Amino acid sequence: MIRLVRAEFTKLATTRLIYGLAAAMAAFAVLTVAANVLDRQGAPPLSADHFPMLVGGPVTLLSGAALLLGILGMSGEFRHQTVTQTFLVTPDRGRVVAAKLVAYPLAGIALALIILAFTAAVAAGWLAAKGITPSLLDARLGRVLLGAVLAAGLCGLLGVGVAALVRNQVAALVGVAVWVLLVEGLLMSLLHAPSLGKWLPSAAAAALTNPGGGQLSRLAGALLLAAYALALALIGTRLVVRRDIT
Amino acid sequence: MAVITIEGLTKRFGQVVAVDDLSFEVDQGTVVGFLGPNGAGKTTTLRTLLGLVTPTAGSARIDGRPYRELADPVRHVGAVLEASSFHPGRSARNHLRVAATAAGLPLERADAVLDQVGLTTAARRRVGGFSLGMRQRLGLATALLGDPQVLILDEPANGLDPEGVHWLRGLLRQLADQGRTVLVSSHVLAEVAQTVDQVVIIAGGRLVTQSTLAALTARTDQLVRVRTPQAESLRSLLAAQGIRADPDGTDQLLAAGTTPEAVGKAAAAAGIVIYEMGAERSNLEDVFLQLTTKQGA
Repeated sequence: MIRLVRAEFTKLATTRLIYGLAAAMAAFAVLTVAANVLDRQGAPPLSADHFPMLVGGPVTLLSGAALLLGILGMSGEFRHQTVTQTFLVTPDRGRVVAAKLVAYPLAGIALALIILAFTAAVAAGWLAAKGITPSLLDARLGRVLLGAVLAAGLCGLLGVGVAALVRNQVAALVGVAVWVLLVEGLLMSLLHAPSLGKWLPSAAAAALTNPGGGQLSRLAGALLLAAYALALALIGTRLVVRRDIT
Repeated sequence: MAVITIEGLTKRFGQVVAVDDLSFEVDQGTVVGFLGPNGAGKTTTLRTLLGLVTPTAGSARIDGRPYRELADPVRHVGAVLEASSFHPGRSARNHLRVAATAAGLPLERADAVLDQVGLTTAARRRVGGFSLGMRQRLGLATALLGDPQVLILDEPANGLDPEGVHWLRGLLRQLADQGRTVLVSSHVLAEVAQTVDQVVIIAGGRLVTQSTLAALTARTDQLVRVRTPQAESLRSLLAAQGIRADPDGTDQLLAAGTTPEAVGKAAAAAGIVIYEMGAERSNLEDVFLQLTTKQGA
């Protein structure tokens, strides 16, 4: 199993996707810091207190990036037909999906930590230029990091699960976008019950990165998101194991 | 001893029967050509043998076991399937390293097999820029990664230029000489005729024949080519004696299953003028075409 996970990391490290994604996330991180520092109309003046907020700017997008990694990592095998070779080397298909369920959350977490470290450096540098010294020991900073790690890991898991079920790369990407942007909103208004809305996947993800405000607790959100991901992955794996690779 | 056993194999895709109650065996150390026209069911059979496709009925086994139950498949069996199953953005070397990592093989094997198929100079190039021939070579390199005793190759000559086909023959011969078992599919008999010991011919998903190449050659017909200004008279004369003769051009006939002596005597008795006459054999390709079209129709 360990060598299968290592093979997944080799796959990830030997195409340009992860580097492009990291570069895009780094650029976005700079933008969020700049926007939060420069656009302060009506907000209290900048102080060391704002540091955790500045660092947490890209967290939501980072979970999106982890979701994207998971989807592309699983569906890319079908798109490029590399799945043939993968299954020839490892005929036990369930183990292949399991290795991806381990590798992509870890990759998503690593990406999140690297980008957050970069964001923290940019934010600290900017504050220092204004004569403000931020503290790395701020407890809120720890909560931002914990939320980011949980969300990125579970979104990576969810991505693999979705793609194992859908297989077609375009369908998986469009499906997730339509779900997040359209279906969840429609469900909310159709159900006429905002209290049910908190059980939807993106609300569960939001509970991790942005707790409070009538949502689930962070722990409940994490468990719910993990349950969604594993349920999808389980159904997806059953289909992947049975389907013919032609 | 049979290394590959296909037994009563049937595969249906919806209404389409791709493979229909197919049975054959491949013995240890033999090179077997798996032949049939496009759409005969060759690829489906090989994919079933490799555990990628689940049979509707029957079984396909390697050393007595389904591929999915082999303890160490990469060291046991090497396979080349279609040439498109590489990530275009990954280099040839990294493609092999991914497979080596998953199979628990030393990473140096990647460089060794690249050398074996003559791709060392292209090792660090991305596969997206490879020609079809280079992809076939990379496919073969992947198959050889675990130094397996059994090789299953689906149309490995596709996309190779004449020099590449020549190289492939040499490689197959070399692998066979090392005592490996090779099952190689093709829709062109000539591609493999110089390399294989036996042929398995299928058409329409069914077995047409399994025989040695020598036995197949023996099936070629004795033909007599006659050049005469009275082709039509000679044709009806021979037909009356139960000998089939087909016109070939305006003044030539090809008579099957007879001898120049018989044709000469018949022509002399009827006073037919003959300019030129000689014995020929139909070639293997004709036999192949005859066998596969008869069954496939």
